[in-house]
Amino acid sequence: MTHPSLSTRDLTIRFGGHVAVNRVTCDFRPGELTVIVGPNGAGKTTYFNMISGQLVPTEGQVLKDGVDLTRMPASLRARHGVGRAFQLTNLFPRLSVLENIRLAVQAQTGDGRRFFRPVGKFTELTARAERYLEATKLDRVAHLPASALPHGDQRKLEVALLMAMEPDIYMFDEPTAGMSHDHAPDVLELIAEIKHDKSKTVLLVEHKMDVVRRLADRIIVLHNGELIADGAPGEVMDSQLVRDVYLGNAGEMA
Amino acid sequence: MQGSLTVKIAALALWALLLFAPFLFQDVRQIEVAARICVFIALVASYDLLIGYTGIVSFAHTMFFGFGAYGAAIALKQMGPGWTPVLLGAVSGAVVAAVIAAFIGLLSLRVKAIFFAMITLAAASVALVLASQLSGFTGGEDGMTYRAPDLFKPATKLLTDADGKVLNVLGVRMNGKLAAYYFVFIASALLFWAMLRIVGSPLGTVLKAIRENEARAEGIGYRVVAYRTAVFVIAAVTASLAGTVYAVWLKYTGPETALSFDIMIDILLMVVIGGIGTMWGAVIGATALVLAQYYLRDLMEVAAGATANVPLVPELLSPERWLLWLGILFILLVYFFPAGIAGTLMGKREAE
Repeated sequence: MTHPSLSTRDLTIRFGGHVAVNRVTCDFRPGELTVIVGPNGAGKTTYFNMISGQLVPTEGQVLKDGVDLTRMPASLRARHGVGRAFQLTNLFPRLSVLENIRLAVQAQTGDGRRFFRPVGKFTELTARAERYLEATKLDRVAHLPASALPHGDQRKLEVALLMAMEPDIYMFDEPTAGMSHDHAPDVLELIAEIKHDKSKTVLLVEHKMDVVRRLADRIIVLHNGELIADGAPGEVMDSQLVRDVYLGNAGEMA
Repeated sequence: MQGSLTVKIAALALWALLLFAPFLFQDVRQIEVAARICVFIALVASYDLLIGYTGIVSFAHTMFFGFGAYGAAIALKQMGPGWTPVLLGAVSGAVVAAVIAAFIGLLSLRVKAIFFAMITLAAASVALVLASQLSGFTGGEDGMTYRAPDLFKPATKLLTDADGKVLNVLGVRMNGKLAAYYFVFIASALLFWAMLRIVGSPLGTVLKAIRENEARAEGIGYRVVAYRTAVFVIAAVTASLAGTVYAVWLKYTGPETALSFDIMIDILLMVVIGGIGTMWGAVIGATALVLAQYYLRDLMEVAAGATANVPLVPELLSPERWLLWLGILFILLVYFFPAGIAGTLMGKREAE
């Protein structure tokens, strides 16, 4: 088995007396797409926030290729190859689609510190950004402000932004949330493509069972902040423990 | 896009007027107005970099302006007229501005915007009090008068005719006063141009990204605090250089001309009138407000005279009520141009 690219060791966070995530130890490997499931309030997004740097854990560690990320600011983690898309669309609304993507590209190349040459002269940056726009079929709306896009395209832009960061670890938090059935497949197609690149590690928080079935190589289940199941999709979904958890929560996995 | 073009053409036309100002307006007061417009364009542009592009609200911009002005004033006063004291004053003002901006930035740009604004307000108050109290060094409340480099003396002859007298070109005397005006014009234009370059660079996009969505900018790999501090330093140094230019032009520096909160209010008004986050709006905002401050009173005097026979109206138009009218004009402007003159023109057309 390949070395884990990302690991959490006893990852714990408490808010006052409430333990939101409790001693979660887990390894993630390149070429593997892991879906994180669990009822609302199970701590999935909180777990994500500690990996991508929005929250600092109370205890435990986040390691990426052996580097301790636990207390790093989010910007440094991004430069270490941890990329995260958000549950709610989280873009730069008044900037154009192209500018949104170029920001992610120039964060990679370090050109964000160049302050005197007009942006138009950085043709390499624009060319790279345009490749991501073509890959996500957003090239036709490249010059519209992000806020002018329909919701489905904004979700696609969110994925394109993540791809443009060229991370090793892709983290998606309900990438198809609020999308119509016609548009969701586009985004899932993109994620499937990322998954085909065997050097990438993909983490996905998802509720929709058809999505989970289609993409998951592995499922982990969080419940009350604890990791209660981990394994191949078939075996995890059939396990009695998981059924009990979900049946107590109005059949969200139905 | 058409709106942006209109705004750019209007701003360039204003720059062209400023370029030929000594030939178009030969009255001393008019040249005074033109020079003040130039300096304030640079000052307002550097403030727009903060408030409009990065979303940083600072009330310390006059303080940085004052550092540059006092740097030049003290050096010119102590060392006598010359270019060395001007350069020394510019550099020391800019260094002090950069160090203090970096210090304030690193210490407090992490906190919420409102606290940051309060901290800058406190720093600016301290600077104002210090300048007034350290009278041995700064001239206190009275400020300092000093002489500018010899090139700028009215008696200096730039061009002479066959008899060795100052040459007149198109009725303008080629003397030191003209050189002083072009010093102000070129320096301000360069500072404005530098601001334009910055907002058009990759860094400029990062600044806008921070304004739009700070958390996401951090999330894709930008150290927001570092970028904010850097831009705060750049704006502070620019303001300081504009201060030096103004001090050389006025040959007088005091709390009133370089540090008072009135200047801060003027900058805020100009940036709002021109349009926050438009950069070109700085040209329009600075021109509009300076013109209003200098000429509204004259205009009202004429208007009051013209309506002398009408009851009540001349009372309302009496020149001493000019601030009231300035206020009314400002309210109307904000009502009809909610995003400032440049901002509204650019935004409206682009939405169509």
